[in-house]
Amino acid sequence: MTEDLHARAGHLIDAVQVEGISAADREWLDNHLEGCARCGARARATERALQSLRSAAFHIDPAVVRATQLRVRLRAQQLREQQSRMRALWVSCALSWVLGVVSAPLLWRGFEWLGRSVALPDSVWQIAFFLWWPVPAVVAGGVLAWWRVRASTEDGYTASLPR
Amino acid sequence: MGATICWFVNTMEKEAQETARGLRHGDPDLLDRLIQQYHYRLFRYLLMLTGNREAAEDLFQETWIRVLERGHQYNGKWRFEAWLFTIARNLAIDLLRRRQPQSLDALLDIHRNAIPLGLEAPGSPTPFDMASQSEDGEHLGAALGHLPPAYREVLLLRFQEDLELNEIAAVVGSPLPTVKSRLYRGLETLRELLEGGQA
Repeated sequence: MTEDLHARAGHLIDAVQVEGISAADREWLDNHLEGCARCGARARATERALQSLRSAAFHIDPAVVRATQLRVRLRAQQLREQQSRMRALWVSCALSWVLGVVSAPLLWRGFEWLGRSVALPDSVWQIAFFLWWPVPAVVAGGVLAWWRVRASTEDGYTASLPR
Repeated sequence: MGATICWFVNTMEKEAQETARGLRHGDPDLLDRLIQQYHYRLFRYLLMLTGNREAAEDLFQETWIRVLERGHQYNGKWRFEAWLFTIARNLAIDLLRRRQPQSLDALLDIHRNAIPLGLEAPGSPTPFDMASQSEDGEHLGAALGHLPPAYREVLLLRFQEDLELNEIAAVVGSPLPTVKSRLYRGLETLRELLEGGQA
């Protein structure tokens, strides 16, 4: 037998484990291994190496698993609470915008009436309207931002929980 | 036979989709089950990756917290364990960057994307020593300790964790031919190391 045949067999022995081989290659390899002690030994050595790799055992402290499950549950609860708070806040924000848009004509007339009744120039009550009108949405946006900062601080707290 | 394989693949896909759905909702019961199911494999992978029990335990917890927080990113197209190992590996790399910033150059060397050892506490038994205490691992500990990390990682993912080649490529962030080449070279080296140890 030539070295090329042994080299091919050697490659196929590894390929069986790494990525699989075709039926034709399998048949060729089986035939070769039947008559070649050297390649047979290589195939057995490969099997032994992988068997020993697969059977390597480690111990994991069950307390670590329990602590992890507890920590994950706490974090899940925290995320749920954060989400529901954020959802409520987003709804409030959206509502304040909708109300702002819907009430804009009424508010405009109100400012107009007030401005005329105290004899203010038109530009003054109009500026006052544009300053006043976005206030609810700005407040809601501010609260939203504050909650987000608070939520990230709570994340930091979770990270420092005992393990 | 074909029908059996088809049924098996469908079952796995369905299971992955259910896992993805549960993770999107941050279902704590599902996470409990996943931790129970994968704790040993994840811990073994982390231990082999870092070479340090304490670091492996910290990363183990961080990985599951990350799974909860990033659960919506798992789409169920991959097996869950491939995604899990990817998260664990990225966290391990982050840990190494924090602890040993100078070793980044080594990371980018010939064993690109491989994680070097170096977190072992002096004098404490390494995971490779621990492996050698197992029944069939007489020479395995020494052999694993001598394997280049890039080879060791792909061998473990392939033959301990039974990941597919494309899953391994996704986990280690390397092209498929690189993964195959590492597997062939790693297998060759492991065999030589183990046979040499027995001689």
